[in-house]
Amino acid sequence: MTTTEATPASSQPASPARPTMEVINVSRWYGNVVAINDISFALGPGITGLLGPNGAGKSTLLHMLSGFLEPSNGRVEMFGQPVWRNPALYRQFGLVPEREAVYPFLTGYEFVLLSARLHGLADPKAAANRAVHEVDLQDAQHRAAGGYSKGMKQRLKVAAAIVHDPPVLLLDEPFNGADPRQRLHLMDMLRRMSAEGRTILFSSHILEEVERLAENVLVIVSGRLAASGNFHEIRKLMIDRPHTFRLRSSDNRRLAAALIAEESVFGVELEGERLSIQTADFGRFALAAPRVAKDSGVTLLEFVPTDESLESVFSYLVGR
Amino acid sequence: MNATIFVLTIRQLLGRRRALLMAAFGLLPIAAAVIFRMSSPDVDTQRWTVMVLLNGLVVTTLLPLVALVFGTSAMGGEIEDGTAVYLLSKPVPRWQVVTAKLLAAWLATSLLVGLSTVISGVIAMNGTPQDGIVSGFAIAMVLGALVYTALFVLLSIVTSRALIGGLIYVFFWESVVTTIFAGTKIFSVRQYTLGVARLISTASAKTFEARLDGNEALWLMAGVSLLAIFLAVRQLQRFEIGEST
Repeated sequence: MTTTEATPASSQPASPARPTMEVINVSRWYGNVVAINDISFALGPGITGLLGPNGAGKSTLLHMLSGFLEPSNGRVEMFGQPVWRNPALYRQFGLVPEREAVYPFLTGYEFVLLSARLHGLADPKAAANRAVHEVDLQDAQHRAAGGYSKGMKQRLKVAAAIVHDPPVLLLDEPFNGADPRQRLHLMDMLRRMSAEGRTILFSSHILEEVERLAENVLVIVSGRLAASGNFHEIRKLMIDRPHTFRLRSSDNRRLAAALIAEESVFGVELEGERLSIQTADFGRFALAAPRVAKDSGVTLLEFVPTDESLESVFSYLVGR
Repeated sequence: MNATIFVLTIRQLLGRRRALLMAAFGLLPIAAAVIFRMSSPDVDTQRWTVMVLLNGLVVTTLLPLVALVFGTSAMGGEIEDGTAVYLLSKPVPRWQVVTAKLLAAWLATSLLVGLSTVISGVIAMNGTPQDGIVSGFAIAMVLGALVYTALFVLLSIVTSRALIGGLIYVFFWESVVTTIFAGTKIFSVRQYTLGVARLISTASAKTFEARLDGNEALWLMAGVSLLAIFLAVRQLQRFEIGEST
């Protein structure tokens, strides 16, 4: 992605000089349910992570980018051509679907060869061999794919997706089921492909995965584009957001009075038998709270950060 | 037609369990013919072969069931398993996907039902003038298989409940509705098949009668098959793969 500005809750298209993919005011709904709500962005060469909690609309968006779902509104284009109902465009990109399914009766090599043949490559066998080696699957290539582990199936799907050497690669949760070694290998391969000038978009609901691989991210929450741009800028927005802790102690009122004097605390609320504390600095407050309690002669019985889930981080970005 | 998809589909359809089950189905008419010969009953052999064996067992049951299994598995199985994405994410025109799937399902159905028809018919009519009965039914069966598989391939693209839809068509529409309402015979593949068999066979009308004229049946077969293929291609061009598929 060539957008350089971190733009939380952006709905305007970023405009790289020469976008590979463009999503322009796209919405998609199923009956009354809105899965994707007026999203716009443009992607160019490099690795982009499509990040969002489960059910956020990542797969729907990827299916529209792959030409498998028709946008209810707006346009999805690749190399300036509409993706929907344009099978010829599949020469330009490879797709790694999320579902584990492969043809169980084909060997790994046959599966990749099938993909090469369907692409009409001049030398499908050579292309299949190259792709199998690329994903480090040569030792298992003559075994039936039905007996592969989840991680091996992931690699097999990647091999089939890159067999025609496409300039664009779309991957839906590609690291699911892969062991750490396979994950590293796949990440290295994607980095190498990115360095060759390819456009790579992969979805994930795991922040750390995206952090390790993607220079740019698209954050999608509840069908809306919550943020897009440089990963580190967006990560900073996530870190700087207010955090909420729930505390229970031997004397909540005394502890509340002591904590309110702390610089990192900007909100204290008594909720029944518990205290709800809002802080701008997660780490500082986590260190300060036990000290303040001890100085006040109060015993801490419970100390829980309440909103550290990815969903809450995304909700914060959307709410900004 | 795409040869790669055709070969892939043949391998899918003839997977070990499914092939064994279908082969067992195909053996039923042969077993019936053998039992008939061994018991030497005092009945008209030609009439028994036509009415009980070929019409009653093969045309009414074996042909639609085998076509239903192969026709709905060819494309519907891939949609259900989630492997359709590997075919549809390739620069292959949708008409090539549909025709390859259809030809594979048609070939598998024709081979199984055709062989079953010929072998069981020959056994049952051993020593009796055939009057084109076995050859007539064998050819009609191959043509009927084309219409059935085209319809079932279409059905499997339109709905995920193609098997149920197909069973309703075969056992309610063809067995009940077309029997009660004569005018609906033009919507029955079974009647087309019997019409073509009648057209080829030289057996007497007493032995075997069809409700549809043979030429009319041929035209209807061609029209229905082409329409089903056209609609299947059109449907596949608009086919969406969402999170649930």
